[in-house]
Amino acid sequence: MQEMLLTGIFLLVLFFLLGSGVWVGLSLLGVALTGMLLFTTRPAGDAMVTTIWTTSSSWSLTALPLFIWMGEILFRTRLSSDLFRGLAPWMNNLPGRLLHVNIAGCALFAAISGSSAATVITVGKMSIPELRRRNYPESLIIGTLAGAGTLGLLIPPSIILIVYGVTVNESITKLFIAGILPGIMLALLFMAYVMIVATLKREHMPPSEPARRWRERLQESLYLIPVILLIITVLGSIYLGIATATEAAVLGVLGSLILAAVMGDLTRANFVDSLLGATKTSSMIMLILAGSSFLSLSMGFTGLPRHLAEWIDSLQLSPLTLVLALTVFYIVLGCFLDGISSVVLTMAVVEPMVRQAGFDMIWFGIYLVVVVEMAQITPPVGFNLFVLQGMTQHQITYIARAALPMFFVMCLAVALIVAFPELAVSA
Amino acid sequence: MRSLLDRLYLVCGALAALFLVAIALLVLLSIIARLMSWQLSGLSNYAGYCMAAASFLALAYTFGQGGHIRVTLLINRLQGGRRRLAEIWCLGVGFFMAAYFAYYSIKMVQVSHLIHDVSQGPDASPLWIPQLSMALGTTVLAIALLDKLIAVLRGAPVETAASLVD
Repeated sequence: MQEMLLTGIFLLVLFFLLGSGVWVGLSLLGVALTGMLLFTTRPAGDAMVTTIWTTSSSWSLTALPLFIWMGEILFRTRLSSDLFRGLAPWMNNLPGRLLHVNIAGCALFAAISGSSAATVITVGKMSIPELRRRNYPESLIIGTLAGAGTLGLLIPPSIILIVYGVTVNESITKLFIAGILPGIMLALLFMAYVMIVATLKREHMPPSEPARRWRERLQESLYLIPVILLIITVLGSIYLGIATATEAAVLGVLGSLILAAVMGDLTRANFVDSLLGATKTSSMIMLILAGSSFLSLSMGFTGLPRHLAEWIDSLQLSPLTLVLALTVFYIVLGCFLDGISSVVLTMAVVEPMVRQAGFDMIWFGIYLVVVVEMAQITPPVGFNLFVLQGMTQHQITYIARAALPMFFVMCLAVALIVAFPELAVSA
Repeated sequence: MRSLLDRLYLVCGALAALFLVAIALLVLLSIIARLMSWQLSGLSNYAGYCMAAASFLALAYTFGQGGHIRVTLLINRLQGGRRRLAEIWCLGVGFFMAAYFAYYSIKMVQVSHLIHDVSQGPDASPLWIPQLSMALGTTVLAIALLDKLIAVLRGAPVETAASLVD
């Protein structure tokens, strides 16, 4: 009985600190401290710094700032216009035409970027004005971009998969490899959706671009070479097993710097800005990770994860029911928190539960990323929506409505990943 | 005083950025070492220390730039005095946690120094040296939060909390 009361207080503190707007990382530290004080007599402060130091000075985390930096460098080049030029001639003959550039562009950029915001911005910077000029339906321009932007986190490299891998102690390389197929599948599902809508609403679609000869098309495709070279360097080296995620990340940074230099975009200001931007983003994530590592420790003392795992176990839920319940849970959570925070905040409790249920943790990571990303295109808190709001000046409600069909496409993707788990396991 | 503090945050942020470059160089070195089959041990430990330094030293700079995320759903609906009160609460709690973190980080450095704690890895570094980055970074974060708290208490305007990163 007393334990119930303490658990109640603990959860109340958690919701109150987070909800009242205290910075996420610091909230987690506060909640964890409360847990330590309520449930154990161990010296909280010393345990806190030891845990945080071990987590934050770990080698496997170094891939994180490097991939962020790589994205920051590429963001400051003319890569986005090159992507558009290279992809456009190939998409012209599909129903939905250049709308597919949004999706294919996001999928390609996702393979060199670890964040969905960076993916949306880089692709949208060029495609939004170009597609608007050609009178494509606005809701489809924005919807496809919001949806396909989530590929940034699913197709490796992926910041959130690194964070997940470090949190649950699973191989980042394996997670990266497992993310490739579901990522491609999701991109194809988005494209299929666009084709269906474009066929049904033919009258809303702009006319075809002038047909290009194959020679011309190939010529335009040359613009894709830098991106493809980078993808081969980064993903190829991971996939072939010749580089760890961190090593691939540093090769990516090097490649991006060379690319930026060749394109003439590697100014001193760009270099400094990209470096400071990466420092800032990774510091933000590290504060959350620091908080969550202490929270995991503290959660262990509260016994909450163990009780919950036992309780779930006693319910004898089918794996399908559990997955369904978790999906709803993460979508609701995503109404208040961003993807990384949702993952690290819940892992301390969810990890024992899903391990107990016998899920493969690599598969679960991929499933989790798709579900968490679904929450990022639903209001009120959805980072992809915020990014698009900044870029298009539309109301958030308008953008959310435009993105809604993509949400359902992602539901379908989750169902497929659940139905065919072999999609998301690394060989 | 004002410019001195701002410079402190900036210098720590710049130091953090240098440590990020150091991570890249160390990883690059380890790749080259492997290709050339040089025997360089402990590189991954050093990269880990740089990781900690890059993260912690940038905390205050990131805070100053509005880079740390928070749940803004409720506070952005508050107006005027209530919004200010909420901000004071957040900054107060934030300062307390950062100061608590800083206090124990400093204590950790002292203890590591006192008992000559060395890394378990092949680098065998005395741990108090890399741990300094955590002590310094969290202390500066606590200062930045206190700095902001005092400013808001004195009537500085509270800007809309926005976070645009993932």
